[in-house]
Amino acid sequence: MDKIQEDLIEYLHSRAFLPNGGTLRPNESLTSAGVIDSIGLIQLIDYLEEKYNLEVPLEFITPDNFDTLEGIERTIRQLSA
Amino acid sequence: MRNNRIRCKKCILDSATPGIILNPATGLCQYCEQEPVVVPKSEELHQILNGSRGKKEFDAIFALSGGKDSCYTLHHLKNLYPDLRILAVQFDNGFISNIAVNNAKRFCRMTESTYLSLTTDPVILSTAFRRAAESTNGYPLISRIRASDICNTCIGIVKQKLLGLALIHQAPLVVFAFSPGQTTNPYIRLNLSSIQWFRNLFQKELQAIGVTNCDELLIGKDLLTQVAPKFELIMAHPLLIWDYDKKRIEQECIDLGWRYPDLGDRNSTNCLLNAYAIDNHIKKYGIHPYAFDLAALVRGGHLSREEAISSVDADLSPTLIRYARDKLQITLK
Repeated sequence: MDKIQEDLIEYLHSRAFLPNGGTLRPNESLTSAGVIDSIGLIQLIDYLEEKYNLEVPLEFITPDNFDTLEGIERTIRQLSA
Repeated sequence: MRNNRIRCKKCILDSATPGIILNPATGLCQYCEQEPVVVPKSEELHQILNGSRGKKEFDAIFALSGGKDSCYTLHHLKNLYPDLRILAVQFDNGFISNIAVNNAKRFCRMTESTYLSLTTDPVILSTAFRRAAESTNGYPLISRIRASDICNTCIGIVKQKLLGLALIHQAPLVVFAFSPGQTTNPYIRLNLSSIQWFRNLFQKELQAIGVTNCDELLIGKDLLTQVAPKFELIMAHPLLIWDYDKKRIEQECIDLGWRYPDLGDRNSTNCLLNAYAIDNHIKKYGIHPYAFDLAALVRGGHLSREEAISSVDADLSPTLIRYARDKLQITLK
């Protein structure tokens, strides 16, 4: 698993989004899997902005970009480029 | 079930809550072991509140429950930003007390805000609350830790209704008096696309708890197509940038004429459904739905650990529980 995705899993554990020992497939929907809700999404985006020192433009906040680990990883790479 | 659990030594989160891990060496939960949450953006929020003006009748749609936090926030907001044109919306979930209604109206008069009592189809609403009470694991784990299934349903509906009003009035601000325990974001920027996504998420959550007939509880789809595609708004939580002190807020409210509704519920000063919502959640999951909120207040220095423990350990009014259960026509199993 990519380092960004590993960091994400760690974050989701640290903030109690994932139960102890729980994990996710890279293409699994965070919202459909019951991992994250709308408040959690906003908190996740705040975390990503701080950790990767980037700003997520409003138009980037879409399911394609933020509903899976691989989507988030791709988005971070795109915004960091 | 709740007696054998070990609480974090600093806040009040406990080992039996799914997702909460206590470090055996320190006795602290993962939240207390992490860096404290810094609430940035204070100056930005001030600029937003000071500068946001709608093109129509209102600058802000305000969620006014009639409880002390929202009454205080409305009053303080108008003191700081007297030109802000506010539509204060009290959502009638069928369980608000008369005193809460009177408190809300009083603070609207005082602040020269426009008062609106908003409700929705009572059968659909009570069905939604009943389904929430009867559901198990419908909401995501983090939502169930943060609040009861019934409260998640109610506040989800309130957010939808207020965002809908913001679209109707093209108001650039939607204000909630969430405490620093209830949210960590002083403000959230939303555009039509994110509003649509959050609408869909809430719809899925309602369906997961068994509410199939939910259009009435969501932002009207037509509204999303009627406003300009570039419309954006800000959901603001000003209590996060002010000094949050529960006792002082209550005293200031009382000094301003706010009446304390003696509901027999330590955790709500406006809602007659809350005690049942707590009781239902504890029985289903063994989680007190206010523990997460209170733990964050303890961590942030807004409340003592003893006060927080006292709140979650307080007995719930059997009369209130029975009242709500009967009104929702829920039979004991």
